[in-house]
Amino acid sequence: MTPLILTLRKPARFELDISAVTPDRLAGVDVKAVALPGGRRLGELFDITGEDRQNIIIRNPDERLTHVGAGMRKGVLTVEGNCGAYAGLGMRGGTLIIEGNTGDFAGAAVAGSRQGMRGGIVAIHGNAGDRAGERMRRGLMLIRGEAGAYCGANMLAGTILVLGQVGPMPGFQLKRGSLLLAHTPNPVPATFQDSGEHSLLFLTLLEKQLRRDHHLANFLPPISRPVRRYCGDMACGGTGEMLVFA
Amino acid sequence: MNLNGVVIDDTFAEAFGMRATRILITALNLKWAYHAARSLTGFATSVIGCGCEAGIERELSPDETPDNRPGIAVLLFAVSAKELAKQIERRVGQCVLTAPSSAIYAGLEGEPVNLVRNLRFFGDGFQMSKVIGGQRYWRVPVMDGEFLGQESTGMIKAVGGGNFLVLASGLSEALAACEAAISAMSKVRGVIMPFPGGVVRSGSKIGSKYKALSASTNSAFCPTLRGAVNSELTAETGAVLEIVIDGLSQNDVRDAMRAGIAAACSLGNAAGVQRISAGNYGGKLGPFHFRLHEIMQ
Repeated sequence: MTPLILTLRKPARFELDISAVTPDRLAGVDVKAVALPGGRRLGELFDITGEDRQNIIIRNPDERLTHVGAGMRKGVLTVEGNCGAYAGLGMRGGTLIIEGNTGDFAGAAVAGSRQGMRGGIVAIHGNAGDRAGERMRRGLMLIRGEAGAYCGANMLAGTILVLGQVGPMPGFQLKRGSLLLAHTPNPVPATFQDSGEHSLLFLTLLEKQLRRDHHLANFLPPISRPVRRYCGDMACGGTGEMLVFA
Repeated sequence: MNLNGVVIDDTFAEAFGMRATRILITALNLKWAYHAARSLTGFATSVIGCGCEAGIERELSPDETPDNRPGIAVLLFAVSAKELAKQIERRVGQCVLTAPSSAIYAGLEGEPVNLVRNLRFFGDGFQMSKVIGGQRYWRVPVMDGEFLGQESTGMIKAVGGGNFLVLASGLSEALAACEAAISAMSKVRGVIMPFPGGVVRSGSKIGSKYKALSASTNSAFCPTLRGAVNSELTAETGAVLEIVIDGLSQNDVRDAMRAGIAAACSLGNAAGVQRISAGNYGGKLGPFHFRLHEIMQ
């Protein structure tokens, strides 16, 4: 089966919440007739081809598409370019691939919820905005470019890997979970304590698993290598960590 | 039936249903993986007194293990799921968690049974969980860094107590035959021979003159009792040794018995190997019957 491809006909004039476009929500429905918040139907905005609803591609996207893959539970959703805020918001499972940049609050929590994404993989090939992975509870977020401020703030568990620079205050009030950073934050937040350089076995398992996904394997640098471990956020129990590749 | 001058008795080995798991132990190098594996499988010859039967199945090369380090595959067998879970936790906690550089993983898919699910609490709140590829692992801080272990392993229904007896002219001859058999059987996947060196000399029969004992020495195969009891031995037999096999499936046990009997018989009658027999209880106790003639056809 060919992937279900939604091609945006022309740039959106205002922000467009497309959380309805996920493999689980489009299963068994007339895709063209699916209404977005505000009343517009997918068929009015997108050219729709293909039939595999477990593998959806959003083509010709722009920054005004928000809530991409929000709450998705399974399947693969690929955005062939940049998208707006709230990508993977409250996500439960599946894989969300964003081939460009995302706005703020990627993988964060739905307003009022105490937990952000609770499973699955978000792979952002460009830069992420502020508060990526805020309140994340489970799952994996990969940011190939740079991450904005407060990356992994209030994180409860899970793993965020950032290959570019991170903005101010990464891991702010992080309770558990791992922030894996290719570059040392400048400055390292005062509430993260250096516990030295270590070789951690779980990174080998993580790398092996990530390399099984062909869309990640191509750009993933070796992550099974020594890391400098910063325990934190010490203001929130200190049972989480920031790991910086040595 | 006769193989290389060695008589194969027309009898069968009687085996029982057990619960089993395979766990993978890795370490910085094979030496330390062996230390952990030997410790974990120590004092695990028989469920009668040890709680489980366990042994090393084989060595694992780095490309066969989850963490790309050398490792050892270990099989554990117990009479019930509850007892198996108890033995895994106790043995992993005392023998693998404690061993420098070690890590432990599931080696079998099946009904989940705890591996380090409870042992993680050794981390005193500093333990961390990571779900990788749908499996949960625990990172427990220890003095050499971190102990990494998978939360659970898989448990399956298995076969315990497959066996055969080697009758020879003397102890040296019987031991040589058994060593050849064990060497061949250790190449078979999915089986362990849980007794010391894989060989047991104290084969048993059901019952005893002492009411407190449910089993006692296999008097029919004791050479020193020839003449005193209804012996199975001819005047030429000087020693009998038994090899007991636990396997993940009937086919595994059958393959191991075939390899072992063939290797023992390859020494031939000239080397003092006289007969191959097997232990059973009349076929009334165990659901699995391994007929020697069928296996060696």
